[in-house]
Amino acid sequence: MDTSQYLEIFIDETKEHLQNMNEQILVLEKEPDNADTINEIFRAAHSLKGMAGTMGYKRMQRLTHDTENVFSEIRNGKMKVSAGLIDTLFQSLDALEGYLENIQQTADEGTDDHEPIIKQLNDILASANGEVPAPAQEEKKEEAAPKSEAQSGAKYKRINLEEHEINAMNEAYKKNLNVYGVTVFIQESCILKAARSFLVFKALEELGEIIVSQPSVQDIEDEKFDLEFSLYLISESDAEKVKGAIKNVSEIEDAIVEKIEKVEDVIAEEQKEEEKTAEVKEEKEPVQTAPAAAQAAPAAKQQAPTKQASKPVVNRTVRVDIEKLDALMNQVSELIIAKNSLVSISIADVNQQTAQGLHDQIEYLERITTNLHESVMKVRMVPIESVVSRFPRMIRDISKKLDKKMELYMTGEDTELDRTVIDEIGDPLMHLLRNSADHGLESNDVRVQRGNEAVGSIFLNAYQEGNNVIIEVGDDANGIDIESVRNKGIERGIITPEQAETMSDKDVIGLLFMPSFSMAKKVSDLSGRGVGLDVVKSKIEALGGDVEVKTKLGEGTTFIIRLPLTLAIIQALMVELGDEKYAISLGSIQTIEDISVSDIKYVQGKEVIHLRGTVIPIIRLDQVLDIGPREEKPENLIVVIVKKGDKLAGLVVDNLIGQQEIVIKSLGKYIDNTKIISGATILGDGEVALILDTNVLI
Amino acid sequence: MEDNKKEFETVQYIVVKIGSEQYGIDIRYVDNIVRIQKITRVPKIQNYFKGVINLRGEIVPVMSLRIKMNQPESELTNAARIIIIKLEPQAAIGIIVDEVKEVVTLEENEIEKVSYDAKDENAGYINGIGKHEGELISLLDLHAVIGEKEIV
Repeated sequence: MDTSQYLEIFIDETKEHLQNMNEQILVLEKEPDNADTINEIFRAAHSLKGMAGTMGYKRMQRLTHDTENVFSEIRNGKMKVSAGLIDTLFQSLDALEGYLENIQQTADEGTDDHEPIIKQLNDILASANGEVPAPAQEEKKEEAAPKSEAQSGAKYKRINLEEHEINAMNEAYKKNLNVYGVTVFIQESCILKAARSFLVFKALEELGEIIVSQPSVQDIEDEKFDLEFSLYLISESDAEKVKGAIKNVSEIEDAIVEKIEKVEDVIAEEQKEEEKTAEVKEEKEPVQTAPAAAQAAPAAKQQAPTKQASKPVVNRTVRVDIEKLDALMNQVSELIIAKNSLVSISIADVNQQTAQGLHDQIEYLERITTNLHESVMKVRMVPIESVVSRFPRMIRDISKKLDKKMELYMTGEDTELDRTVIDEIGDPLMHLLRNSADHGLESNDVRVQRGNEAVGSIFLNAYQEGNNVIIEVGDDANGIDIESVRNKGIERGIITPEQAETMSDKDVIGLLFMPSFSMAKKVSDLSGRGVGLDVVKSKIEALGGDVEVKTKLGEGTTFIIRLPLTLAIIQALMVELGDEKYAISLGSIQTIEDISVSDIKYVQGKEVIHLRGTVIPIIRLDQVLDIGPREEKPENLIVVIVKKGDKLAGLVVDNLIGQQEIVIKSLGKYIDNTKIISGATILGDGEVALILDTNVLI
Repeated sequence: MEDNKKEFETVQYIVVKIGSEQYGIDIRYVDNIVRIQKITRVPKIQNYFKGVINLRGEIVPVMSLRIKMNQPESELTNAARIIIIKLEPQAAIGIIVDEVKEVVTLEENEIEKVSYDAKDENAGYINGIGKHEGELISLLDLHAVIGEKEIV
């Protein structure tokens, strides 16, 4: 069958499951007896197997099947979690990810069978079971069992009939109506099982009355069933017609419709079945496929907690086409522009009678647009968790590989960022973490000698600051040796010895971001090939952010990444310079000051002001922006104090216009990015105002 | 079939005036022609960009062909227009011209390919000369004018 339409869902869900397994196995490594974790992994492996099978990825299915087997043994307490097992499991996860990658690119899983991993898994299984490797096989048989039963089974016989249901049947016989036992099998590939079942029910209800179904109607609606369900139907139509009605619903594999001559037949059968299935069930404990239908109550109970436990892990996401979101975003932009023009009308007509009404309208409009903006932004926001959740596993692997003990501490995983930023930020973060792990942290021995704790720490902190999100990636290693960077710079011919003399520490560290400048003493396959920090920097700058490094010899190094929170609409302060208007993002403004010209001091020939104990450099915006100086020299200057991290600067402006919500528009690709101008916006009167990027000025 | 063939052989150009010269702009790339409006200066950009305008809610950069072609700037008259050009769907750009004259249809045999003169740096912006009713029209190579294509 054609499964291509489901490929995207498959890929997304497989990713989720793999990520989940990765996380859980990490937990398992630390707490080998955690039953919840084991169950969780088992469930994920089981779903993966099912999905891969449905999509026809046989190799993937086989590998997950064997992984699942191992877990089913662990779950039964027949086996203990060992370090070797964990490694093998990670290997098989990597192999699965490999398959997934192939699938993503070519819609084909590739040809690698990963025999060694499968063998290892089976060896583990075999050794766990001592001399008999049989259980594994047995398991497979059992796995197959429900299916073969399904093929043959008129499972309706297993429905537990309540007394009133039996009465209803007897009533029917009295009225000369037919009673049918019906079992419906849905195609394995069917995605909307509940919907298909609903259609079957609807079709049958047109023909007669459904006395009872197994699973219950509610469970069917909630998709709490496998591929088949059974029911008793009272109808005057003949069996063929009933069968035809069911088969008219698409994606129905088969239906068994049997006429029941008298109630006793069923009841007798039922009891027999019950005994049989009870037996089967005992053996079948590890297999998760919904067991015997006769065990309705216990089965339901068993399933219920399972469902509940898995809830928090399953990401309840709505996947929205990003284009649709963009369109929505644009509409909001228009709305805000409309609002702004209303604002300017109201200012112009302030003397007229209508002004008050207009004013109310504007306030209302303003409230709507702000709310709308917020909700749309929220749809676009994704917690960075989706990116960083794979890092613990990565650090674990590096730690094993380098034989260096280290721990990754993460905070602020719930910090949200725009979807487009999230998609791009993964690689730079990974680079920085690898950097820290590989040549930031020293070996455990060296650390002990230095008086540090043997186990190195790497941390990743994310938090919001104004209109920015800050992500800090750092370590508690020895820090960057500035002198050796300086020497390396000279060695590489990037700077001359004379230059090196006069360079500040900060500038020296800036060298690290130069292309092909690697500090690693030897190239390893983790890092040190000189394609690191410059790529990180350019990627982050492309996202409108910047990177900073803080390092202290003996204490560690921290890379601070600053990213814009929103990309489209911001609150801004409008200012006037000459006859031009500029917008400054409110998020970066600290205060606005009125400064007397005589308060301006000079430090190294540069203008500064001394404000509440801080020395703040003054930036004459009119000079930076090539605006002719004002004719009159005012005695007081309006200075907008902007901040970037802990650095401040004072921007001199001519006039303040006020606060406004502005829609950021790009200047287009033809204009050489001046960096000072991060974009433009359209004001209420249709005029264009430019947006200053104060982060560049400081 | 006949129609297709005809279209293939002829190209429509918008004839504009810059200074005393006539230039032709391939109409397929022209999105719009608007009157001169307030152009917002953007500091520290290429000198031939006059700034940006608001075109129905979109920010569109506007360039001066005169400056790009090293001609002296002159006061814009009432006849001046901004021709909005879209080489790609999402990237509009405006070109200021002194006057828009007419639309002409040139057949292939009316277009003369220019021989390359390396000394004339403006020649790189022209990819042909059109002859129409006894007048000569320099046909602009928009990709060269707009893009940062190096002129050898």
